[in-house]
Amino acid sequence: MTAPPIVRIDDAAGAGADLLGGKGASLARLSEAGLRVPPGFVVTTVAYRSAIGAELGDRVDAILAQDAAGAQVRELIANHPVDEALAAAVRSAYAELGDDVAVAVRSSSAAEDSADHSFAGEHDTYLWVRGADDVLAKLRECWASLFTTRAIDYRRRVGPAAGGAEMAVVVQEMVPARSAGVFMTLNPENGDRSKVAVESVWGLGEPLVSGTVTPDGFHLDKVTGEVVRRTVVAKPTELVRAPAGTGTTTADVEPDRQETPSLDEAELVELLRLARLVERHFGCPQDGEFAIGPGAAPDNVFLVQSRPETVWSRRARPAASQGVTLMDSILSNLVPDTGRE
Amino acid sequence: MAEKAFPSPFDIETPPGAEGWESMYNWYHLFGEERREMDDQRFWFADRLHHPDVIPPYDEIQCECWWAALGAFNTRIFSMPPAFGVDQRILNGRLYVTPVAAPAEDIAARAEEFAGRAGHYYENWDSIYEEWKSKVTAKLDEIRAIMFAPLPDLEPIELVTDHRGYSSGFAMVRDFEHLVLTMYETYQYHFELLNVGYAAYLNFFALCKNAFPGITDQSIARMVGGLRVDLYRPDDELRRLAKEAERLGIAETVLDEGLSAADLFARLSDDPDGKTWVDDWNATADPWFVINTDPGHPGGYHTYDTWADVPDVPMVSVREYLRRFRAGEDIDRDTAGVLRERDRITGEYRELMSPDDHAAFDQAVALARLVFTYIEEHVIYIEHWMWATFWAKSKELSRALAAMGELDDPEDMFFLRRGEVGQALYDCVVGWSVGSRSRGADYWRPIVAERKRIFEALKAWEPPPALGPPPTEVNEPFTVMLWGITTSSVLGWLDDSSSDGGATLKGLGASPGVAEGPARVLRDVGELSAVEPGEVLVCPATSPAWAPIFTRVAATVSDVGGFMSHTAIVCREYGMPAVVGTGNAVATITTGQRIRVDGNSGVVTILEGA
Repeated sequence: MTAPPIVRIDDAAGAGADLLGGKGASLARLSEAGLRVPPGFVVTTVAYRSAIGAELGDRVDAILAQDAAGAQVRELIANHPVDEALAAAVRSAYAELGDDVAVAVRSSSAAEDSADHSFAGEHDTYLWVRGADDVLAKLRECWASLFTTRAIDYRRRVGPAAGGAEMAVVVQEMVPARSAGVFMTLNPENGDRSKVAVESVWGLGEPLVSGTVTPDGFHLDKVTGEVVRRTVVAKPTELVRAPAGTGTTTADVEPDRQETPSLDEAELVELLRLARLVERHFGCPQDGEFAIGPGAAPDNVFLVQSRPETVWSRRARPAASQGVTLMDSILSNLVPDTGRE
Repeated sequence: MAEKAFPSPFDIETPPGAEGWESMYNWYHLFGEERREMDDQRFWFADRLHHPDVIPPYDEIQCECWWAALGAFNTRIFSMPPAFGVDQRILNGRLYVTPVAAPAEDIAARAEEFAGRAGHYYENWDSIYEEWKSKVTAKLDEIRAIMFAPLPDLEPIELVTDHRGYSSGFAMVRDFEHLVLTMYETYQYHFELLNVGYAAYLNFFALCKNAFPGITDQSIARMVGGLRVDLYRPDDELRRLAKEAERLGIAETVLDEGLSAADLFARLSDDPDGKTWVDDWNATADPWFVINTDPGHPGGYHTYDTWADVPDVPMVSVREYLRRFRAGEDIDRDTAGVLRERDRITGEYRELMSPDDHAAFDQAVALARLVFTYIEEHVIYIEHWMWATFWAKSKELSRALAAMGELDDPEDMFFLRRGEVGQALYDCVVGWSVGSRSRGADYWRPIVAERKRIFEALKAWEPPPALGPPPTEVNEPFTVMLWGITTSSVLGWLDDSSSDGGATLKGLGASPGVAEGPARVLRDVGELSAVEPGEVLVCPATSPAWAPIFTRVAATVSDVGGFMSHTAIVCREYGMPAVVGTGNAVATITTGQRIRVDGNSGVVTILEGA
């Protein structure tokens, strides 16, 4: 069976990152696991391949041989019209989500978000996109972002070869986020797997993901549910939907909300539950994103992303037990200096 | 650590009016020029956990018992690799202690010995513990059988017809020696299982910390806390008696706050159902209400009564439970629920561990649980039953001595050192035996009077938390576990001594969670009925006598204790935040101030009214 150019997120069971890209594949698995995921579809790598085609591909490769090639390639791809069959399929899939519904259009490269490499933030994401024409335009921008200079550099450093890269694109209903953030199912400071680390901000999560704002921080114990660390900072601005209804804008946060925690206790409880669920489902530590919609926990807590954690997961876990026998272990703790490493 | 140091013990001045305090204690227990070179180099901390107040001369035996026993089991019997005993000095009536490290070059050889010796105990733990209970209860029966009474003018005829061959006076001298030696022997038993048990617990503790650096101490304790242990039995009996009162239809009478316990018992005894309840109470009281009411370590001083001595104390709790039971509340402890939670927590942490560690974890948790029953339970046998009986028998002797004119007042005996009591007893018995006159009260009167004055002067002295050069690091595992003293708490003391304190207090987070509420500062369990629901208990420390309070308060803060302290164990069971070992919460916080207790970080914040 030939792989389709468009796949619905809730109908993508079994499809992998080669077809859906990292982000798309992870969303598909979240959905398959029965988790709350905003509805949407993926424009697959098959569509990318057919859109680029042999003729355009050769031109891209020729440009890539030069330095500072990114801008030219991006312009080439962004301006290259999407062929009619694919455009019609995208319009139809978009119409299925609702009438001119606001969506996020996210790059989902086939090489990103594997346990080996994180391409976090290397490719474009567009929020509050509305209307099929704009969705198609942002689709081409996402394809083009495979060739930002930093993305090209990144791939040159960690591979795979630039020309072989492929890009799927996720189109997903926008969660009107009151708060958003990231989670990791271990403590990133020491690899402690009994903790879930959460960072969150008011509004959309992009400023947090791109590292331009300081978020609130929480460490939760997976087993006891205790919030073992809680750092609430002043959050003077938030990224919200632009007044026109499409795109985003940075707005001031009212003074009395600036130092209020951006997540409440019930939302933390639900996040902890979801984080543990995805970790169990995928069988390895996860690193993901979430959005808090209107309403109250647990129903307003959405996972929008989950991928294998890449730092601690690649390190060998040191043995917690010291010594071969129970007595060796007891002795090594009584005499720390002579304890075995 | 900074160049800051605590004062040298040799620079501490005698408080005004306490001159001559040294005569109240045994010479070997004092700082002296002969050991100055050694003692001035050591870091001493005030042992406020076990001995928070000025030590009466007779009560010095409490310190002596553990001084020798802990030392011998660490140093000479189990060959604890890094740690010898804990040395003691009395200064201005307060106990200061310092852990003694084993010489580095001996540690490897000591470890080898320890493996064989402690290994024998771990392998046979349950049967050794059963044997231990028999030994201790036999000693308890021995000292309960001792009776001190004023000596008769003429010995009873049975002494002749039974050919006993010695006088009641001699028996009294002998029995006092036996009483004292039995207490020493029991304290040997106390340490027979304690530190070797802690070593097993520490192993589990370290394994958990290695696997999960951020795991809280209290989560680790929750994985091994035994619940079907005798420690909770006294409180369970109070709950049972409350329900019995309702079942027997005498609840209204029991709840009559106008009646003292004694009046209540008298009134109830007129009626068959009431009498059933009083009989039940009396049968329960021995042994389950032989519970010391010390604000600090139970049994630490002769001055505190037991529940059995003052039934008004447990009656407050029975009434509280009864009121709640009648209001439809389930007053039984959810033992099954807590055990389920213990198993869930253990299972989930295990699952988060690397599979390579599972075998070690299973072994470590099994051994830790095995020893933990003793760690929790021994307090009932030793600190409560043995010490309460020892003090009761000592008081019986003091009454006999006063009745015979050896002392003016029974309480005077406690202003004599243990050895001096032996002398007084001999003086008294000789006078009686000969039919002459002992020097007796005439001799002791000025000595006791002076010591009572000194004692009061010493009480006014605020002991520094520590003396001498601070260590660069506090990592001796038993110090950390038993006293809750860490590198950072020592640093905190140094900071405190240079400022006049702030709106926060730092202690050890012993039970997780955060709670706020108005403070209720209690120095004594007798004030328990003053507590309003939702208040935060601030106290020197707690013992099982405090049990009913934990269902009313929002959180607990104590001056002393580590995460193995009673406060910590009970608050974890009740799922209530606790910060222990704050040092000076009772002195710093006043009733009514709004405070926040963070049982995760160990910080107590005074929010208002500061």
